[in-house]
Amino acid sequence: MNILSLQFLLGVVFLTIIFLHLIRKNFGAVIAYGIQSFATVLILFGFFFETKNVSLLLVIFVAFAIKVILAPIFFITLIQKHELTFLTSTYLSTPLTLIVLAVLTALAHSQKFLPLTTIVPAHHALLSLALSAIFISLFLIINRKEAVSQALGILSFENGIVVFAIFAGLEQSPILQIGIIFDIFVWIIIAAVFLSMIYRQFQSLDTSLMRHLKD
Amino acid sequence: MIDAMISEIGFVFLLSLFAMGAAGSLCFKKRDTLANGWQNFFAIIGSLWGIIFSIGAFFVTRGISFAATSSVFPLLSFSFHIDKLSAFFIFVISLITLFCSIYGIGYIKHFYKKYNIGALGFFYHLFIAGMLMVVTASNGLFFLVAWEIMAIASYFLVVYDHNDNDTVKAGSLYLIMTYAGTSCIILSLLLLYAYTGSFDFAAITSSVALIPVSVKNAIFVLSLIGFGAKAGIIPFHIWLPAAHPAAPSHVSALMSGVMIKTGIYMMIRMFMDILEPAPLWWGLTVLIIGSVSALLGVLYALTEHDIKKLLAYHSIENIGIILLGLGSAMVFASVGNTPLALFGLGAALFHTVNHAVFKSLLFLSAGSIINQTHTRNMEEYGGLIKYMPLTAFFFLIGSMAISALPPFNGFFSEWMTFQVLLQGILSAEIVVKSIFVLATGALALTGGLALACFVKAFGVTFLARPRNSDVPRARESSWPLRAGMGALATVCLLFGIFSGYLAPLLARTGASSFLASANTAPSAASALLAPNGFGSVSGPVFFILFVFILLCVIAAAKYIVNKKQKINIGATWDCGANLTPRTEITATGFARSIVCIFSGILKPSLQHEIQYHDAHTRYVPKSRIVNLRMRDVYQSYFYVPLIQFITALSLRIKAIQSGNINMYVLYIFIAVVTALFLS
Repeated sequence: MNILSLQFLLGVVFLTIIFLHLIRKNFGAVIAYGIQSFATVLILFGFFFETKNVSLLLVIFVAFAIKVILAPIFFITLIQKHELTFLTSTYLSTPLTLIVLAVLTALAHSQKFLPLTTIVPAHHALLSLALSAIFISLFLIINRKEAVSQALGILSFENGIVVFAIFAGLEQSPILQIGIIFDIFVWIIIAAVFLSMIYRQFQSLDTSLMRHLKD
Repeated sequence: MIDAMISEIGFVFLLSLFAMGAAGSLCFKKRDTLANGWQNFFAIIGSLWGIIFSIGAFFVTRGISFAATSSVFPLLSFSFHIDKLSAFFIFVISLITLFCSIYGIGYIKHFYKKYNIGALGFFYHLFIAGMLMVVTASNGLFFLVAWEIMAIASYFLVVYDHNDNDTVKAGSLYLIMTYAGTSCIILSLLLLYAYTGSFDFAAITSSVALIPVSVKNAIFVLSLIGFGAKAGIIPFHIWLPAAHPAAPSHVSALMSGVMIKTGIYMMIRMFMDILEPAPLWWGLTVLIIGSVSALLGVLYALTEHDIKKLLAYHSIENIGIILLGLGSAMVFASVGNTPLALFGLGAALFHTVNHAVFKSLLFLSAGSIINQTHTRNMEEYGGLIKYMPLTAFFFLIGSMAISALPPFNGFFSEWMTFQVLLQGILSAEIVVKSIFVLATGALALTGGLALACFVKAFGVTFLARPRNSDVPRARESSWPLRAGMGALATVCLLFGIFSGYLAPLLARTGASSFLASANTAPSAASALLAPNGFGSVSGPVFFILFVFILLCVIAAAKYIVNKKQKINIGATWDCGANLTPRTEITATGFARSIVCIFSGILKPSLQHEIQYHDAHTRYVPKSRIVNLRMRDVYQSYFYVPLIQFITALSLRIKAIQSGNINMYVLYIFIAVVTALFLS
């Protein structure tokens, strides 16, 4: 896969995270996460053509099944079950959120992170963008008050780390990668169950309303 | 064949014996008799093999080094190095384990149907294996793993009697102090790594010159606190009198006799090997801490009525005595007087093994007494010599040994320590001279007070009349208990008689391991006499004298008892009242005069409660109760303010815990970005 295609796919990953910051509807957010995961799987697929490692195909298949199909299905079922159509508010307003996103993207591209983004000099621009994706995913978890979008933020954060690792040449053995994906799958199930239980108990997934859980 | 035995195969075999003991104990956890038999069989076989292996390894010139071929983690290497010092500590661990395990065969029976015997065996073996790995590890990270195994296993042994709330509290205190110490150790190892780029002890030793002096001093202080907390030096000793009595007695013996010595081992390894050359002030600091620990340890022991706590405080005292030898060795090493440094180290090591032997004997004897009387309070004993004569005899030997009375082993190691301290007084520098004078005085005073303490302990426990209805029901211990104690009592005597041969061997430990070449070590001819020393003693001569005096005393006693005695009838001296246990002197009464002398340090509080026959006239007292309590100076002036400070700080830090998940992720984000910036 050529560098332009990789840039395009990474751009999709990055833009879906921006989209997750801006969107107000839960359903759209889950679809955006599905697209983001699909782009990540395609990037992995591109690296399969470079390495010709057959066991990587298995990783791609498992990642596709879990991240692109099962995870969105879990979240959509949850949304439909509890009729969670809209996302709750954010801590920062949209203009402020966009300013922070710009700052974080600039930070990831700054000289300070050069040692990190030049691990593979040919992928400097890609690594900077992947680092931006990691930062703004973390910010998504911080800025959102609602648990579903926080969970999506965690999964986006994981996608950001995966693409960063691919471009930095830090990919691990296929068994380990499958193990990690399986781990994420278990996490998604547990998160979905917990979210469901929280909603049943509090009739809301707004984490800022759950202050009385503090000791 | 012998080469194969005394090699890495031999050591791995040793560890596997304890691993099998641990695994098997767990398998038989529901069957008490089998679990008991299995754990003690493997512990006995393992410790016997450990003794053979350590003696062989001691005479291997270049030491035994080996490592596991692969490791999952890049910095962690499962590497071992067994030099003379390690071999010596393997010997000490194995020797005490052997006798404690023989004792354990009988002792564990009283836990049947009450607690899980398999779990006891599992942690017992894990504990021993942990100690063996601690004294042989040659990689800092692997050492920490071994240290943790030892600490966690010993914690579970301390809280074995978990139905008792005091035991659980003692365990928690032990755990907190252990981790406080471990955090200092981790910090010191990280500093070593930061400046030498390796966790391997040999690599650190070879590049120790790269460490700046200030950092080296910081490492010394951190190591002293970390390993000192495990050894029980004052003021980090508070866990010791709480935890040692809480554990089963054969475990108390191992903890007090051996485990605390792992702290001493690492002090020797760090200060006299890895961080060599050490500046003068390090040795002087160790000397001061040793003097304070020895003196205060014995003073606190004097005030105790709990027999196991009394013994635990004596461990602090003896750690102090060991540190006096080690501190002297460090001082002499820093001024280039290698023969005296080796002699000092030999004194420290000889007292290490001696203390392990007599302290284990005393703990095992105490365990036998508690088993029969069901109390640890000495005030409720009395007259036990009639019911448990052999236990009394073994306790007496242990008491004589710990009180440094010849011909038992304690005397000879303390005599060596005295000699090396006296040599230090000849030093030209006034500060050094003064510290040595004070240390010598402290050791002399400690010896006297220890003797007074054991006169009290033996007298109140075994002599006079029973003060508790359980005492007349006490029976002599079963054969495994007697065998364990008897063997240790024999070792006390043998180490004393053959001290002239053992001491030079131990002095050579440092010589061939790290301090200097073997030819500077004291020869067998000089035996227990320090270089330029003036007070030669001989173990066999002392033994002959002891036997002669003993025979004379027995003959005189026999003559007095058997001679025809004339009965004199006169006035009743005790106002006509029958002699009862209430007329005997108590442990509190015995210690009171000494406690009053040291009231400035011990801060006693005396309370009199008097009840009168007639409350109005108040002429004739009905009963009089005297409560003598000691204020815990360390709790009042060190730990309570420290806890208050930590609590206040925690309350302030708690403010950042908003209970909001977004805030926590923000903290993570800031930490990640900061870490990336700093890297």
